[in-house]
Amino acid sequence: MDKHLVSPNPHIHAAVSTESLMRDVIIALLPAIIVSVLFYGWGELLILAVSALSCVLFEWAIAKFLFKDTALFCCPAALVTGLLLAMNLPVSTPWWIVVLGALFAIGVVKMSFGGIGQNVFNPAIAARVFLLVSFPQQMTHWTAPAGFIHSVDAFSGATLLGQVPVLGALEADKLVSLQTLLYNIGGSAGEISALALLVGWAYLLIRRVIKPWITLSIFATVAVVAGIFHLADPTLYTGPLFNLLTGGVILGACFMATDYVTSPMSTWGGVIYGVGIGFLLMMIRYFGSYPEGVSFAILLMNMTVPLLNRWFHGKKYGRA
Amino acid sequence: MAKLTTFSIGGVHPDDSKIARGCAIEVLPLPSTVYISMAQHLGAPAKPVVAVGDKVKTGTVIAEPGGFISAFVHSSVSGTVKSIGPRKDIAGNPVTHVEITVEGDEWEESIDRSDTLVTAIPEDRAAILDRIKACGVVGLGGATFPTHVKLNPAPGSKAECLILNGAECEPYLTSDYRIMLERSREIVVGAAIMQAVLGGCRCVIGIEENKPEAIAAMDAAVLSLGYPGIEVLPLKKKYPQGGEKQLIDAVMHRQVGSGALPISVGAVVQNVATALAVYEAVQKNKPLITNTLTVTGDCLPVERQHNYLFRIGMPLSFIAEQAGGVPEAAAKLVSGGPMMGKAIANLDATTVKGSSSILYLSEAATKRGKESYCIRCGRCADACPMGLEPFLLRRLYVAGDLEGLEKEAVQDCIECGCCLYSCPAYIPLLDQIRMAKGQVMGVIRARAAAAKAAAEAAKAAKQ
Ligand code: SF4
Ligand code: SF4
Repeated sequence: MDKHLVSPNPHIHAAVSTESLMRDVIIALLPAIIVSVLFYGWGELLILAVSALSCVLFEWAIAKFLFKDTALFCCPAALVTGLLLAMNLPVSTPWWIVVLGALFAIGVVKMSFGGIGQNVFNPAIAARVFLLVSFPQQMTHWTAPAGFIHSVDAFSGATLLGQVPVLGALEADKLVSLQTLLYNIGGSAGEISALALLVGWAYLLIRRVIKPWITLSIFATVAVVAGIFHLADPTLYTGPLFNLLTGGVILGACFMATDYVTSPMSTWGGVIYGVGIGFLLMMIRYFGSYPEGVSFAILLMNMTVPLLNRWFHGKKYGRA
Repeated sequence: MAKLTTFSIGGVHPDDSKIARGCAIEVLPLPSTVYISMAQHLGAPAKPVVAVGDKVKTGTVIAEPGGFISAFVHSSVSGTVKSIGPRKDIAGNPVTHVEITVEGDEWEESIDRSDTLVTAIPEDRAAILDRIKACGVVGLGGATFPTHVKLNPAPGSKAECLILNGAECEPYLTSDYRIMLERSREIVVGAAIMQAVLGGCRCVIGIEENKPEAIAAMDAAVLSLGYPGIEVLPLKKKYPQGGEKQLIDAVMHRQVGSGALPISVGAVVQNVATALAVYEAVQKNKPLITNTLTVTGDCLPVERQHNYLFRIGMPLSFIAEQAGGVPEAAAKLVSGGPMMGKAIANLDATTVKGSSSILYLSEAATKRGKESYCIRCGRCADACPMGLEPFLLRRLYVAGDLEGLEKEAVQDCIECGCCLYSCPAYIPLLDQIRMAKGQVMGVIRARAAAAKAAAEAAKAAKQ
């Protein structure tokens, strides 16, 4: 009899683990990654590889040598951070800046809070903002890349969002068309293809890795806020479609704001969180000094998560 | 097809693995000895009324209730009482058992052993309740609560709906399914008897959609017997549908308050196997000495899987032998379902009234992954059918915050296992929540006792 296990119920487990969930996120990122490598070429592949490998290496090293607890090391989770960070960087970013970003994401944002599950801020976004503030030149300017697919409308200079102060809202709005949904050359890998990102998001929903509410509430808020301002004065304020499809809104709403650790647990908490992100990002875009507001909006709302978790709970059985 | 109903909060969808569903119920041969436990119902253990050397028949009373919530126990075989004393139960804890050496199979004459279906319901409510009590009937859905107590709600409360639990939501188990197929008419008569006892409320038989044959068989039985106010309700498959509170929510769309009894929302829930036991007790005068159990598992070939009619008191090891022994690949032996059953530490332990299975799980099926850190994914909270937040309860438990635990309703936990089942980080949520619940229940009970004592002291002071 001794050879049989005796332990409390339940005696079976769902086919899910932290690793399998993170693997699903990586799979969901693949369409966008493939599109970005096609358009941006070897340079993009290099950034992705450097970022992913550095994140994995830093997390492993810190878990093993500083915390002496390898359970803190979750390889696919570190990979996700690395890929997301890379997708937030312009293709022309020098490799050492990428490594620095990875070190900040893993070492400062994630591990210094205690590692997996403990961090307040989304590591990839915090690292991006850190790089944006430290290296504004390299982080906002980029050169037309040598991709495997050459696009006629590739141009050097600023991103679509960056065109707003140059061309004015009316002209900038015109730059956005249905084609932008498929691919949009300019900006970082995570901005290239809205469609590829949405396909990945749909995969996460189908696999029940995440729920749609946070993402949908961000989209809805961006659309409503941009719609109101645009109606009020189209010469000053870009419209809903422009704001949904440019910058990192889709990447942020689908993959960064839905990060388990740094988003609220309850559905209603998630909705408020999403509305907050959408609203803040539009305010930053319209009135702030940075053209892109997604990262700041998510970081700001990350700070409200403990409160949202305290205030919003699911309904308990048989209790009011 | 109309939209199927189910409970409204949480729940999980494990693969139903009803491998033994095609195995008709077989009657087991008699072993040389049976060991009948005195603690096989909820409440006080029964008190033996036989002595070593006594001759007993199949159906003879060998123990009487040890308290208000307790039950009669009968001999399931004929023979001689060989010993009365402690013996290890499945967890390895000593419990008083009556050991009986089997000699022949001579039944008490008062028991009607024929197959004739008796459909006329006795008039006298008190007589029915007495019969159920005298026959030692207890709930066979898991809690083994004495049935005569449950069918006799406190004055002032009225049953509106008798819910018959045919959900059998635990994976692997098929004994309820088989009796619904093979003994549907007896179950329906049992339901009608309980309806009568409860003063003629309506009766809903809830069965999960993954058992269409059982739904059809029960439907046909209800139709042919023609008792008023009984209906079969197909339910969407979701675990833990058979949980009392969940079933009430699914069927009546009402929720029982924390710490309250189902009758507070007009519900009485009984398992289909209990209905069968009630039928046999009231119509056939047969005490609860047999039940049906499934021998199954993912590492047992289907031709070695069985649904057995067993005599209560047969050792589990005897039944396992009859089914060809414990398979090599079994890593864990479970009595009950894989979600809520108990691991068998001692296969020599005996079957009890509530035994429902011997489940062999392979290493692959039962292995828990290595525990890591909570990633705040919220899956445990989404899965909890009581709407609790297991990750939070666990955190409060680790912090020793009993007040917070009570506020977050740890005492409402039904120990269904959905949280741990769903957790990607393999955190032993239920293991810790169970401890937390125990501590908080202790506090609540102590407070209630103190309040009662204070009230009595105040009353005494007034006089
Ligand atoms: S075991 Fe308790 S806490 Fe866990 S899911 Fe079930 S009711 Fe909720
Ligand atoms: S399911 Fe596990 S990892 Fe997810 S929130 Fe609950 S305890 Fe944390």
